[in-house]
Amino acid sequence: MARRKGLVINDRQLDRCDALLQKLREVSGSSFLALISTSGQPITTASDEYHPETLSLASLAASSFAATQQLAKILDENEFTLLFHEGKGLNLHVSQVNDQVLLIVTFGRDTQVGKVRLYTQRAIEVLRQIFDGPDDEVTPAMDADFESAAGTAMDDLFKDV
Amino acid sequence: MPLINFAAREINYKIVYYGCGLCGKTTNLQYIHRKINPDARGKLVSIATEEERTLYFDFLPLTLGTVKGMQTRFHLYTVPGQSYYNASRKLVLQGVDGVIFVADSQITRLDENVESYLNLWDNLLGQGDDLSKLGFVIQMNKRDLGDVFSVEDLNELLNHTGSPVTESSAVIGEGVFETLKVVCKQVIAKTG
Repeated sequence: MARRKGLVINDRQLDRCDALLQKLREVSGSSFLALISTSGQPITTASDEYHPETLSLASLAASSFAATQQLAKILDENEFTLLFHEGKGLNLHVSQVNDQVLLIVTFGRDTQVGKVRLYTQRAIEVLRQIFDGPDDEVTPAMDADFESAAGTAMDDLFKDV
Repeated sequence: MPLINFAAREINYKIVYYGCGLCGKTTNLQYIHRKINPDARGKLVSIATEEERTLYFDFLPLTLGTVKGMQTRFHLYTVPGQSYYNASRKLVLQGVDGVIFVADSQITRLDENVESYLNLWDNLLGQGDDLSKLGFVIQMNKRDLGDVFSVEDLNELLNHTGSPVTESSAVIGEGVFETLKVVCKQVIAKTG
């Protein structure tokens, strides 16, 4: 049976992701980008003035993408690696980086879809190297101190409800 | 499968409320959303039918605050309880760290409870996860109604793992936060 494994992001990975997303935003003409986990949790974002509600967006995009994968199976297609929604003023593009990470890109109608797809595909190749490369940094575990402090924080949060 | 972002000093856990249709999963989330400090929660997102039955899931993010320098969040989800939505339930279970099985304590709902409980374990085993790392609590809901099973009987019927059990009446909020606290503490303990 597979071991339950969390997705752990270290400083170096996040710095490289942030730099890449910023570059992708500039060259593709997109307005908002986010890396999220396939279980719907945001990892990092890049945006201009436009800031959607990231937590809800990540949850809904990951769920929609997971549903799309199941649609592919039902249709006997190996996989759908892309989810695209076209709106009146805004488009949403969700693509798979690896088994644990998705890339969300939003862009206006004045930006060409083909341009976004081309640059996004190139960015995904680099992102895969960032996430799938050897993890050369030792990441500390959540220890007993964390557990105890979290317990206290929970008691505080729930005490008046 | 928590997301631990050491660079951004964040840790995110996923908790799923599971159980048969109309057992009170969405009611739990609605109560938490109503009662908790608004600064500690995000928007409650519901994908429901016109009759307000859950079609895909409800989602509520909770922020515990900064714990040992890490911004700690719990993402709460419900599944659609009706049996024919199993494909959607499997998707919501992906990457789960803790499950609250909401049992409807009414004697007339026994078959639905058992079916949902077996369906949960089928789906979890199908994901291939190591279930010893999963937080799990059984919430015996609707304790305020008449004609309900005793806690001992329900425990024997539904708790083959000997997991923690809580009693609740989610519609009036009794036991809602107690249940959540038990599973949150479990998932944190099992992450280390």
